[in-house]
Amino acid sequence: MRPFYSALAGAGAVLLAGLASAQAATEIEFWHAMSGALGERVDELVKKFNDSQKDYVVKAVAKGTYDEVLNGTIAAYRAKRQPEIVQSNERSFLTMVNSGAILPTSELMAQQGHPIDVSKFIAPVVSYYAIDGKLQAMPFNSSTPILFYNRDHFKAAGFDKPGATWQELEPQLDAIKAKGVSKCAMVLPGDYEWSFLENYSAVNDIPYATKRNGMDGLDTNFVFNKGKLVGQVERMKRLVSSGVMQLAGQGIIPIQLFTSGECSTIIASTASHAAVVAAAKFDWSAVELPYEQGVSPRNSVIGGAALWTLKGHTPEKYKAIAAFYDFLAKTDTQVWWHQATGYVPVTTAAYDAAKAQGYYQKNPTREIAVLQLMRGTPSDNSLGFRIGNSNQINVAIMEEVSAAFLDKKPVQQALDDAVSRGDEALRRYEQLNAGKK
Amino acid sequence: MPARNSAATLSVAASGGGLRLRWPLRRSFIRRTGDAQAESGLKRAHFREWRLPFWLLAPQLFILLLFFFIPSIRALIQAFQLTDPFGATTQWVGFQNFARLFRSSVYWSSVQVTLIFTLAQNVLTLSVALVLAFASNHILRGRGAYRTVLLLPYAIAPAIAGIMLAFLFNPRVGPVAHMLQGLGFDWDPNRNSSHALALIVMAASWKHICYNYIFLIAALLSVPHSILESAYLDGAGPIQRFLRISLPMIAPTLFFLIVINFVYGLFETFAIVDATTRGGPAGATSILVYKVYQDGFVTLDLGSSAAQSVVLMALALFLTFAQFRFIERRVNYSV
Repeated sequence: MRPFYSALAGAGAVLLAGLASAQAATEIEFWHAMSGALGERVDELVKKFNDSQKDYVVKAVAKGTYDEVLNGTIAAYRAKRQPEIVQSNERSFLTMVNSGAILPTSELMAQQGHPIDVSKFIAPVVSYYAIDGKLQAMPFNSSTPILFYNRDHFKAAGFDKPGATWQELEPQLDAIKAKGVSKCAMVLPGDYEWSFLENYSAVNDIPYATKRNGMDGLDTNFVFNKGKLVGQVERMKRLVSSGVMQLAGQGIIPIQLFTSGECSTIIASTASHAAVVAAAKFDWSAVELPYEQGVSPRNSVIGGAALWTLKGHTPEKYKAIAAFYDFLAKTDTQVWWHQATGYVPVTTAAYDAAKAQGYYQKNPTREIAVLQLMRGTPSDNSLGFRIGNSNQINVAIMEEVSAAFLDKKPVQQALDDAVSRGDEALRRYEQLNAGKK
Repeated sequence: MPARNSAATLSVAASGGGLRLRWPLRRSFIRRTGDAQAESGLKRAHFREWRLPFWLLAPQLFILLLFFFIPSIRALIQAFQLTDPFGATTQWVGFQNFARLFRSSVYWSSVQVTLIFTLAQNVLTLSVALVLAFASNHILRGRGAYRTVLLLPYAIAPAIAGIMLAFLFNPRVGPVAHMLQGLGFDWDPNRNSSHALALIVMAASWKHICYNYIFLIAALLSVPHSILESAYLDGAGPIQRFLRISLPMIAPTLFFLIVINFVYGLFETFAIVDATTRGGPAGATSILVYKVYQDGFVTLDLGSSAAQSVVLMALALFLTFAQFRFIERRVNYSV
């Protein structure tokens, strides 16, 4: 019996030692919404960080779509089992800030001795994610929409490239369809409220909501049912009903209709580069977003997501999180991430470094989004959007706009209804969060 | 979620007739507890002491508590609150969520869509199942094979069924859609609300026809042969025999299936809608149970979602009540 017990004790000791060495590195969990190729890039990124030092281990967990990650986080937080870091999209900014569940990034980094200089980040990123110059979340994957086009189709229709304004672009799209070059001159993206409405208002410098699109307070109201935005939705409706612009519908992702060569153009996030490069078997290129004739275009606004630090963890964990963020903000990391994914570099230093490498000479379309985001000084209309209950409002706007596409109601009425549904959700948000930013 | 849970209980309740102990089993139970008088009245309590029945019921009660009562009570509470998704701020708002719901034209159009959807789904499911049951009952060779094939769709997960149909009928890439377009029919469920509605009716029915079929074929088999034979001798053809004799005799099963189909259409079609149309285009296929999910889990409007599920719960209770009160009583099950 005796050898048995000593063997047992020995095994126990080995086990304990194993546990102790495993615990020496602080492990933090990072929930993200990147799938497919982008998910693999996240894993690579995390591996780079884990290999770069010995004290901390980041565990990346893909939790589905942005909505699913947010839902999972809420459930975990309510059960007091929240991860350390979650990736949440730009739309959820106010939900996260006012959740009472997060530790602002600027605060965290200052506490951990890696103070963040917001001036290093590009302007549309800062204006979106910072309140009073303090970053609330760590900018991670930032994108902006650009216009991808099939060069073969444009050549076949007798055009060099898409026109810079809608007034030039529309006849080109009509011609592509009329000449039979393609049955689908453009495909409507799934996130068109972002690319066709919000970014349209930013680029053309028109207000989307009062109080600088919500930046100055929760008592904001929507105003997108007036002027040029009505014209934009009328234009979209005309393109859809004439069959020039097609809807992908359930079961296929719009970008697939572009990369398969079926549709000639798509306005999509610059992060679609990954999909286009991987699948497009034709001569493609991209240009900046079209704008209205006679307008001097402003910067577009960002999309994508940021990393949020959740409350309720031990100081060692926060040390690990700060080290990870510090690694993310490094120029090398940013340049790699930008080139591997198609997202924009979030710091100006990373952009300069990529440029110095001659990267944009070889890959000119990768620079479009950066240039478009950094175009001029952001105006009140192109700072970004700070909208409460934005998921609800987003769904309501899409529902109303597509009702207009379906001829269920006139465009003006659809937008009026969208504004009133949106305002109602804004008021409810204001009621619940009275006194907050 | 509460709505789904209540649906689950409801379907258990609705099929309660089938869950009753069969006679021989009942008899043995009674013997074991040694109650000699019990055989006379079915409704009398058969157990003398409370412990055994309590432990027999406990697992089911625990499941009910966990998956029905607790969520239902939470939904009920949340329906009167305005709350931040993370639970940071909660306000009691009385009937504000309900008032907002009943004021909303979107909600009423969802009610309308749900009505059309459940009715259409019910009619389609039942009639196709009836035709199939009638036909396969008359086939002698390979009857078993036909039945197996007809039952297969029941084994397919609703999400897969939905995605498959969405793909087959996708106007850009779907083969069925191309066929329809080839016939000159401008099929496009992305731009036409009624096409989208037709699509989810088809998807939901396709999935549920087999369930109806099992019940109908069983009912048809239990129609006494003597009556059918005498009708045959009197010169009635197969269709006449079916309409005049079999159909009236399987009426109880039909009633039962109608209720079950309503319950299915109202509460169990969430996955199909999510996979096929996601409630679109422009809310054209956003049935009530899908809206509960979308408002609660996609847009995080917890108060409204809870209020909606309370309304659905009331509807489920009403249906259960209606089934026990009106249908169970009037329909004679002993065919």
